[in-house]
Amino acid sequence: MADLVLTGIDKTFGHQRVLQGISLKADDGEFVVLLGPSGCGKSTLLRIIAGLEQQTSGSVLIGGQCVDALPPHRRDIAMVFQNYALYPHLTVRENLAFGLRMRKTPSDIIEARIAEAAELLEIADLLDRRPKDLSGGQRQRVAMGRALVRHPRLFLFDEPLSNLDARLRASMRVEIKKLHKRLGVTMIYVTHDQIEAMTLGEKIVVMDQGEIRQIGTPEEIYRQPHNPFVAGFIGTPPMNLLEGRLSVQARKCLFEAETFQLVLPIVPEKGGMARPIPAILGIRPEDLLPHPEERPIVEITGTVDLVENLGAETLVYLAIDGKRLTARFPATYRVQPGNTVTVYVSPHRIHLFTKGERLPFSCE
Amino acid sequence: MTRTPAERVLLGVGIVFAVLGSLFPFVWFVLTSLKSPLAVEAIPPTWWPDGNLGFYRSALAEHQLLAYVGNSVIVAGSTTVLSLALAIPAGYALARIPMAGKSWILGGLLTISMFPQIVIAGPIWQLLNRLGGLNTHWGLTLPYVALTLPLAIWILATFFKDLPLELEEAARVDGCTVWQTLYRVMIPLATPGIFTAAILTFIYAWNEFFFALLILTDPAKQTLPVGLALFQGEFTMPWGELAAASVLATLPLIVLVLVFQRGIISGLSAGAVKG
Repeated sequence: MADLVLTGIDKTFGHQRVLQGISLKADDGEFVVLLGPSGCGKSTLLRIIAGLEQQTSGSVLIGGQCVDALPPHRRDIAMVFQNYALYPHLTVRENLAFGLRMRKTPSDIIEARIAEAAELLEIADLLDRRPKDLSGGQRQRVAMGRALVRHPRLFLFDEPLSNLDARLRASMRVEIKKLHKRLGVTMIYVTHDQIEAMTLGEKIVVMDQGEIRQIGTPEEIYRQPHNPFVAGFIGTPPMNLLEGRLSVQARKCLFEAETFQLVLPIVPEKGGMARPIPAILGIRPEDLLPHPEERPIVEITGTVDLVENLGAETLVYLAIDGKRLTARFPATYRVQPGNTVTVYVSPHRIHLFTKGERLPFSCE
Repeated sequence: MTRTPAERVLLGVGIVFAVLGSLFPFVWFVLTSLKSPLAVEAIPPTWWPDGNLGFYRSALAEHQLLAYVGNSVIVAGSTTVLSLALAIPAGYALARIPMAGKSWILGGLLTISMFPQIVIAGPIWQLLNRLGGLNTHWGLTLPYVALTLPLAIWILATFFKDLPLELEEAARVDGCTVWQTLYRVMIPLATPGIFTAAILTFIYAWNEFFFALLILTDPAKQTLPVGLALFQGEFTMPWGELAAASVLATLPLIVLVLVFQRGIISGLSAGAVKG
């Protein structure tokens, strides 16, 4: 087991910059998720950690040791690939043993490790089959077993669940979580699926266009996004983001977007905004409430555009002075398109961004 | 697709004609080889042979057919082994290793394989003459390897290119060097491609006539095609013996293809990645 430290990783392919100044740390035993839209460079970063790709500059330290010059197999890592990458000409048992054989591990240890992994992953009865005779979920387990038997210092997962159907994905997610608890080994997990990231990660690294946008716990990422990208990327349905102008008045702020106006009972921590500045206002759909539940509260009145009943909850799309807001209400909330409704949001739940960054404020 | 009855009849007739047309010469010399000497020359020709094995006996005994077969096995066998030993790493490298001018190399290989043989016959003869390779099996194997390499490399490069890259990366993480990745993971997966290349190479070397005639003038070293062409009777053309020898020359190829057909099952790599 070991911690992982990345410092100033850059990667360029030809003239294209894929990664820019990536620095991050995974503590020993931590589950770190690299999350971002496709093409954000998260897989490239994982491959650089694995040694399958060489960074243009910066360095990778595993357990305090710089591994930049080491080939993948000397970094003591194990990787689970998106498409499993099981050797089709070998049985499950031989697949599991392959990495250990290459390291000249004594065969009694190999047998013991295979037995251990097979029990843990419940694949003992599949050991003599070949990959083509396995289902997707079973292949996934074998792929994890192949990483497991090596007892590596670092586990790397490259979108391991993306080829499974939704139900299997949910159950494998739970298994991976259990596995991490049981092994206590450092895991780096790449995904574009925010549910996987939120449920698995102890630390989430949100990436976009080759840069880290935010590092934090799932809670922090969700509750306090540092910038509009993170705010809009995390959460389904996505956060309502309105572009407008913000002006600070005595003990309150005024947010204006064309004809839409909102008075906010908040005071920015950094004062001194005499003139209105461009800002983005963010409200999560579930933070819009059908009834005022606390004081102070911000009221927004608009017309119902569309109602989507999802069973457990209802999505209400509101048109407010040419702007659109999505609200997520309990399914018991009854409303018809065309109705005029007032929705409420606690000022604590409002996000404000200026110059691409979160604007800290206190509530009056 | 549904076809009208007329189309189906037309298709059937077409297939029958195509098969009969291409099989007829083969069938005819098989039949001839089983006839008695008198029946071979009979006019009008007799269709059904009397099952006489005399031609086989005389082809084997009087014309040293087995010696030719032996020479052919040596030359075609070593050509196949050498050609593949070079083509496998070359094909793998061309499929996977990023290098400048790769398309020029592949294009060049294709161009070389299209040169008319007569163009290189002179230089090859001179080269072998200087090296002392005339009338030796290795002297014939060398040009065969050179001539079969382009095709073998093309087949294998295409095959390696289609294998999932993730498998190689998994092998690297598991601790394989490039060579270990090649022979532990890639070659087992590329067996269909390797068999295809091997059979084509073997057939080429087995059937090749022109260079064999040019390089091997010593009857003791000659390969089957040359041996058959130089079959000589004292007064007449030994049609029966020729037919018998031709059957014997073709049989190994048919057996080879049938045996290795099992190896040429694509889809061996199914299950490696999602699929």
